[in-house]
Amino acid sequence: MNPPIVTFLNNKGGVGKTSLVYHLAWMYFDLGLKVVAADLDPQANLTAAFIDEERLEEVWEGNSDRNTVFRCVQPLLKGIGDIAAPKLENLEKIEDGLYLFIGDLQLSGFEDELSSQWSACLDGKERPFRVISAFWRLLTQAATDSEADIVLVDLGPNLGAINRAALIAADYMVVPLSPDLFSLQGLKNLGPTVVRWRKEWQERIPKNPATDFSLPTGQMQPIGYIILQHGVRFDRPVKAFQRWIEQIPTTYHTEVLQESPESLVPASNSSTDVNRLALIKHYQSLMPMAQESRKPIFHLKPADGAIGAHLSAVRNVYFDFKELAEKIATKIELPLPSLET
Amino acid sequence: MDWQELAELFRDLESDRVERKASAADGKKIRQAICAFANDLPNHQKPGVLFIGVNDDGSCANLSISDRLLTELAGIRSEGKILPMPVLRVEKHTFDGCEVAVIVVQPSDAPPVRFEGRTFIRVGPRRAIATLEEERRLNEKRRAGDLPFDLRPLPSASTDDLDLDIFQREYLHSALAPEILEENQRSIEQQLVSLRFCTPPPEFSPTNLGILVAGKQPRQLVPGFYIQFVRFDGKELTDPIRDQKEIDGSLIDLLRYMDEVLQANISTASDITTQPLEIKKPDYPIVALQQLIRNAIMHRSYEQTNAPVRVYWFSDRIEIHNPGGLFGQVNRQNFYQGVTDYRNPHLAEAMKNLGYVQRFGVGIPIAQKQLEKNGNPPAEFDIQDSYLSVTVRRAA
Repeated sequence: MNPPIVTFLNNKGGVGKTSLVYHLAWMYFDLGLKVVAADLDPQANLTAAFIDEERLEEVWEGNSDRNTVFRCVQPLLKGIGDIAAPKLENLEKIEDGLYLFIGDLQLSGFEDELSSQWSACLDGKERPFRVISAFWRLLTQAATDSEADIVLVDLGPNLGAINRAALIAADYMVVPLSPDLFSLQGLKNLGPTVVRWRKEWQERIPKNPATDFSLPTGQMQPIGYIILQHGVRFDRPVKAFQRWIEQIPTTYHTEVLQESPESLVPASNSSTDVNRLALIKHYQSLMPMAQESRKPIFHLKPADGAIGAHLSAVRNVYFDFKELAEKIATKIELPLPSLET
Repeated sequence: MDWQELAELFRDLESDRVERKASAADGKKIRQAICAFANDLPNHQKPGVLFIGVNDDGSCANLSISDRLLTELAGIRSEGKILPMPVLRVEKHTFDGCEVAVIVVQPSDAPPVRFEGRTFIRVGPRRAIATLEEERRLNEKRRAGDLPFDLRPLPSASTDDLDLDIFQREYLHSALAPEILEENQRSIEQQLVSLRFCTPPPEFSPTNLGILVAGKQPRQLVPGFYIQFVRFDGKELTDPIRDQKEIDGSLIDLLRYMDEVLQANISTASDITTQPLEIKKPDYPIVALQQLIRNAIMHRSYEQTNAPVRVYWFSDRIEIHNPGGLFGQVNRQNFYQGVTDYRNPHLAEAMKNLGYVQRFGVGIPIAQKQLEKNGNPPAEFDIQDSYLSVTVRRAA
């Protein structure tokens, strides 16, 4: 059984998505799961959140041939072979049981190839399928090697070919949003696009001529959205956020789930909507403190500057993320270990 | 524990002093088991043993036991996730033709031992988190005799000398896991005892640890618990003094204020001509100074001396003087060769809980590495019988 692959996608940037994935990865680890966090965003922000520049320099400037996502797909891109599947030692071990599949700025160079091979799949040749399924095969390999219970994938904010290939690899999709016009408009593009991708992939699967490697089923099932206030600008009236928040359930329902507006449970206002996984508040000064210490907020200690009132805020963040992690786990039917064994 | 005894335990599928793991992949479970054995709730007063490389039913898992695996397992001791630091031994053995890694865990002198802020115990063949009642039993097991300085009661102090506000607001949150605190129905007295800040009833008096970490004015009770900071305008002790401070207060205040003093005294030169980008170069790397001064606070002797930790800042060097010579198994020959010992192990625990220590046994290597990176010569240690000093020189 492959562990669930959960992607986080929004086509509007700057909503705090990477930091959300980072904190969730730590929370699942804290709750006792083995986690792989994969950075498929060519901006590599998730990677930068986990490891410092010195280590990054070692990795990116070093010679190891398959320590980043890009280097693993490179042989395929050069046409000299298939992907170079990562071994456990090519994943960055953050803790025993928490691994990072390192991102790479060069990954953007894969975009064109993914784009052209997408239509080539329809010709029924083998290589296009190898290219399109590359991410999925890398992620499942990484998950198998590390005995992971869950794989979390961070993506760049666009609807390009890299994200299409990543979504095909995904079992589940979570949409992080900020309560503003841009995110809401973004949903109207995102929803139909994902539905189209799913359909197009289903058309392609039967045309695969090769039998020696398996393909992802392309579930990419949307399991809900998370409202993040990190991206909120407080120079706009607070009342306006509420207005956007109110519109999110309907937009998500009609555009992402593609269900008729009438089927939305009438009582679903913004806070009772079943699709809303969480509303994550702006953590003000805790976020820069956490980034500087290279820790999730809920691991901050007095030595990091979290003193007095900060510490109780730190505890609230812990419970916010714990609740969110449990909610996602329930939706994807992932059992969480109890601490007692 | 010899091979014979281990072999008997290896074959004994019933013993609750044994736990088997097929592989080392589940690091958390291994650490929980070590924590549970260290707590020794059933009171065996004998070590608990973890066999890695064998299945639950006793059959061999054919795991290859590499040096790297053994080193990783041995590293669990000092990574600071299990507090206070567990006493354990890691060995490779072959029993009935099956190669296994063996971790032998001694019962702790000062339970409750916690992993990630949770007290794990063994109840028969399973592991669990201690209930209030079980924690109380663990507290009572803490032996009275032969205690390290930091666990001894301080007879002249009463709970009035503790700043309960700091204790509850800052220390509890740092030491215990959030869910444990959430479910916590313990009284403040129970909390103080369970974190070793007070001795268990009937005496119920603050320990040295309690006073140092959360005392209102620890210096009144432990006279040497402060840092004397002097900045000289020259290279000699007799040169004029530019600045001087006595930094005292509870551990939390003391360490925080020390960081600020260091920040304020380090000068950072900016080079804007040699490269298109401005190069910033401090005269001393702050991380190295922090490590060395925190080390001094953690390892110094607080007994039979009223001397403070001294930080003398000269124009060409910084000297950190520390009362108390080397301790325990550390001697002049093996100093800084990877051997560590703790005069104040529970103070070390508190500093780890507060985040001032990342991992045990790496302070000096980190300091040296940072000095090298910044272009300073390596720190020089002067080891005497009753004091230790370290000199850090300015970057050229």
